[in-house]
Amino acid sequence: MRNTKYVMSGGLAFSEGKDMDKLRRFSLKGWHVRDFTLMGYKLEKGISTDYIYSVDYRSLEENEAEEYFDFFNSAGWSHVTSEGNIHLFRALPGIRPIYSDRETVVEKHDNLGSSMKWFTLSLLFITALVWLGTFISTGLLQTILNIAAVILSVIAVPTLWTVLTIYNNKWRVEGKKGLSKLIKLLPFLFLGIAIIILLVIDDSSNAFLTLAYMIIGAVILPTVIWIIMSLYHRLFGEKV
Amino acid sequence: MKTTEQLTDSMFYIMAALTKPRHGYAIMNLIEERTKGAITIGPASMYTIIKKLLKQDWIYLYDGSDPRRKTYLLTQKGKEVLEADVKLRKLMIDLAEMGLKEAEE
Repeated sequence: MRNTKYVMSGGLAFSEGKDMDKLRRFSLKGWHVRDFTLMGYKLEKGISTDYIYSVDYRSLEENEAEEYFDFFNSAGWSHVTSEGNIHLFRALPGIRPIYSDRETVVEKHDNLGSSMKWFTLSLLFITALVWLGTFISTGLLQTILNIAAVILSVIAVPTLWTVLTIYNNKWRVEGKKGLSKLIKLLPFLFLGIAIIILLVIDDSSNAFLTLAYMIIGAVILPTVIWIIMSLYHRLFGEKV
Repeated sequence: MKTTEQLTDSMFYIMAALTKPRHGYAIMNLIEERTKGAITIGPASMYTIIKKLLKQDWIYLYDGSDPRRKTYLLTQKGKEVLEADVKLRKLMIDLAEMGLKEAEE
């Protein structure tokens, strides 16, 4: 019998709560988290225990880590594993939650968001510049820039999506419902713009077309992945 | 309105516990004991607020010799902020108590 197994994460920015609930259900069946993996968690077979899980995001200096983990330990939360700035803890039910007020939960999301903000903004800026380059250049240079632009977009769009979701989580905790709704509408907005570009431009070699296809792809692909993943979880997820 | 922002409840509790040098665990326990368990502070909230208070210069690192159990203490500025906030909160309580009394009459 296997002693380790892997479960997929819905992405902490997108489904932190669901992930933590899932880890608890696995623990009840004797499968406990050992580590983060690329797309999820590595579980190990042990004794069935009702553990609750929580995750915190924080960049720690070397001389801060001991104190930080001691806070959790003395409150009944044992440290499971960390990956970069993401720290996973578990406790027995009934232990006080790691966050006890709304203001600090807002800061939790803000920490995570601001750690990615500058990277994302620079990535978007460079991507936009390269796209601009494809519009004004010709020949081989255009082809090269075009490829670069496509690759950059493939990275930039999911990154932007993640950061927006993190800020969306933050705004939801703060009670800013309007902003939250706006974020949900964004994919449709993008899709709309892309379709308009497709309808307006009929020169098929135009770089705008590539851009439009990219946007459509970027919106539809995650949606398809999401549908497949939820189907997968519905079919196989509960049968541990 | 006053120029200083009102402290959040958690900041208020933690500052109230730092009138004497205490480490994180002691702060959590003290708050829980003195409020008979009505108020608890989670470790992540606690850590976030300690960092924030340090940045504001309202508390300072009193003893860092044990890296696991660093102790903190209110600064003079922190004490003033806490005192001002206590005054404001007293007014809030008075306001509500007067209101409730009125309702009984």
